[in-house]
Amino acid sequence: MSPSATALRAELRRLVHERLPRDFLGAFTDDPVDLETAQQFCRLLAERGLLCLAWPEEFGGRGASPWEQTVVREEMWAYHEPRGAQYMGVNWVGPAIMRHGTAEQRHLQLPPIARGEVIWCQGFSEPDAGSDLASVRTAARRDGETWLVSGQKIWTSYATIAQWCFLLTRTATGEKKQHGMTVFLVPMSRPGIEVRPIRSMLGPHHLNEVFFDDVRVTCADVLGSVDDGWKIVQEVLSYERVGIARYARCERLLQTAPSALGEQWDALPEELTGRWARMLTHCRRARLLAYRVVALQSDGRVRPADAAAYRIAVTRLDQDSAEVLMDIIGLASLTSQAARQFQRAVEDHWRYSQAATVASGSIEMQRILLSRSLLVAL
Amino acid sequence: MNLELSDEAQEYGRQAQRALGAAGGDELVRQVESDPAVRPRLVEPVLAELGAWELAPREDAAELEAAAALCRSVGYWAVPYPVAERLARPGDLDLDGLVVVADPAPAAAVADLDLRWAAVRLSGQRSTAAARAPAGLARDVAFVAALDMEYVDEHGAKDAALGLLLPCWTLLGMLDRAIDLTVEHVQVRVQFGKPLAAFQAVQFQLTDAEVERSGVDVLARYALWSVQAGDDDALNDALALRLAVLEAAEIVFRVAHQLHGAMGFCDEAVLSWLSRYSQPLRRLPFGLSATRQQLTRRIGRRGLTGLFSDPLQSGRTDYAL
Repeated sequence: MSPSATALRAELRRLVHERLPRDFLGAFTDDPVDLETAQQFCRLLAERGLLCLAWPEEFGGRGASPWEQTVVREEMWAYHEPRGAQYMGVNWVGPAIMRHGTAEQRHLQLPPIARGEVIWCQGFSEPDAGSDLASVRTAARRDGETWLVSGQKIWTSYATIAQWCFLLTRTATGEKKQHGMTVFLVPMSRPGIEVRPIRSMLGPHHLNEVFFDDVRVTCADVLGSVDDGWKIVQEVLSYERVGIARYARCERLLQTAPSALGEQWDALPEELTGRWARMLTHCRRARLLAYRVVALQSDGRVRPADAAAYRIAVTRLDQDSAEVLMDIIGLASLTSQAARQFQRAVEDHWRYSQAATVASGSIEMQRILLSRSLLVAL
Repeated sequence: MNLELSDEAQEYGRQAQRALGAAGGDELVRQVESDPAVRPRLVEPVLAELGAWELAPREDAAELEAAAALCRSVGYWAVPYPVAERLARPGDLDLDGLVVVADPAPAAAVADLDLRWAAVRLSGQRSTAAARAPAGLARDVAFVAALDMEYVDEHGAKDAALGLLLPCWTLLGMLDRAIDLTVEHVQVRVQFGKPLAAFQAVQFQLTDAEVERSGVDVLARYALWSVQAGDDDALNDALALRLAVLEAAEIVFRVAHQLHGAMGFCDEAVLSWLSRYSQPLRRLPFGLSATRQQLTRRIGRRGLTGLFSDPLQSGRTDYAL
C-alpha cells in the first residue's frame, strides 16, 4: 500500500477510536442511539473530506485511488460499518447519478450524499425476482406525462429510515426480460409508498417490504433513459464487484481473540486454536484475493472470475470464522467489560455472517460466473 | 508487494513449461517410474539448458521469483525430480540441495539420485542427509527414501522457510494442471446427451476447486515476498502457505478425480500420475494436521501478520482485558 493509503488507514482508525463507543456494533440495533452515532460519524467523515473520498473532485471527492478506497472499506467494515446505511449512497447511488443523472438530479442529490445527510434504499429485489433480478414486475405504467408505480419490493434494507429509493421498475415488455426496465429516483415520502419491516435475526432496518400503490413518478425522476434501466443496474452491480471487505472484521476479531480471553486462551483445546490459525490464513487469503482484484482495477482491467473467486472465498471465510469464534467464546468465562464486548461483537458477527452468502448477489451466482470463465478458458 | 510474479519470471516459467513439455512432458514421469535410473539423464539436461542451476534464489529477489516460476512448471508436468529442493540448496554448505524434515522418520523424495543433501528441521537444526535405498518400487513409494542424518548446526531458520516455500510452488503447478485436465475432460465427456460441463453440479465443483487454487496462488506470492524480505515472519508465512496448499490439494484432487470418473484412476489418464506423484509433496515433511499444529504453536497468541496484528498501530488494544 502507498504511504497515502497507510496514512489514511491511521486517520480512519484514529477517528474510529476517538469518536465511536467501544461497544458500537453498527447502526442497526434496537438502540436508536447507534443509528444516531452512525449519522454523526458520517457527518464527521464528510467534514473531513473522507466520506466521498472516491468521488471525482468536481463532485466534492478526492478522486481516491482504488487502494485508498480499499482502506476505507477495510477500516469501516472492521469496526462495524459506522457509516451505517450511507455507504450505499456513497458507493454506488452517487456514482450512478454522476454518470446517468441530469444536471438537476446531480445538483439535487449529490451534495446531501456528500454531506452525509441522506440515506438511500435500493428497490431491486421482489418476491419473484431475487438472483433473477431481470424478472422484476413492479410496473410503472404511463399516465399522460407521468407514470404510476405499483408493485412490491422485498428485502429492502434501510427502507424504514431512507429518504430516497433507487427504484427499478418495468416500463415495457421487450423481446428479452432485460429490456423495458427503468430506474426512478423516488422520495420515500411520496404518497402510495408503504414500508413494512420484517423482523429478523439480522436486527432492525435490514429487511423490509416496500409496497407501491399508484405512486406517481415523473420524467424528472427517471435516471438515464426510459426502458434502458438494466444497463444502469449492471453498472451498479459492478461497483460492488469487490464488495464488502468482510475479511477485515474477521481478521480483527480473530486477531484480538487471545487478548480478549486473557489467560483463558491458553486453556483452549489445541484443535480449536488450530482452527483459529487456519482462519487467520484464510483471512490473509481473502484479503490477497481482494487485493488482486483491486490491483487489476487500478490498471483499468477487469477479470470477473477473480472477483467471483474472491467473493466466494470471503463469504465462506465470514461464516467459517464466525463458527470458530463462537466456539472460542463458548469455552471462556467472559466477565470483564471488554471481554463481554468481544462476546457481543462475535455474536453479532455470527448473525451477520449467515447472510454473507446471500446478500449482494448469492454465492451461487458467483459460482456460475466463475464456472463460465473457467469453461471458456480452454 | 506485487501479487503477480514479474513479467520476466512469468516468461521464464512459460519457457520452462514448454521445454519440459518438449522433453517429454507427461511421458517423463512414466519413463522414470519404469526405469528410475534414467531420472537424472532425462531431466537434468533440460533443467541445465534452462539455466536452473545458475539461479541464486537466496541472493536475488528476481531469481527467487524465477525459481518459483520454474517449480510451478515442474509441478505442471509432475516432473519426477526434486527441482525445488535443489534450488533451495544452502548457500553456506557445499551440498546439492535442501529438504525440510521432521521426526520421527526423516524422509524425502530424493531416492536414486547421486546428490548430497542438507536437511533442516523447523527448529533450524541442520544436518547432512544421505538417502537410503527406497523402500519399494517407484510406483509405490514415488521416490521417497528414508534419510540418514548427521548433525551440522542450528543456523537453518531461513533454510526452513525457503525449503518449505519452493515445494509449495511445485504443488501449485500440480493444482494448475489438475484443474486444466478436469476442465478439458468435462467439456469433452458427454453424458445424458450433453457435456458434463453443462451440469451445474459439475460446474460448482469446479468452482470450489478453482477458488482453492486461486487462493494458493496469492498466498504463494505473499510467502515469496516474505522470504525475499527475510524477516522473522518468513517461516510462519511459509507454513501458512503450506497449510493452504495442502487443503487446496485435498479439494482440487478430490474434485478432479470425481469429475474424471473411473477414467481418472487409469494409467492412461494424466490425472492418475499427477495425483500419485503429488503425494510426497503433500505428506512430507508433514501433512495437513501437523502443518496446522506447527503453525498454531509458532504463532502462539500473536497470530499472523496482517491488518490488526500490531496493537500499537490501532492506538488502543481492542477488547484487551
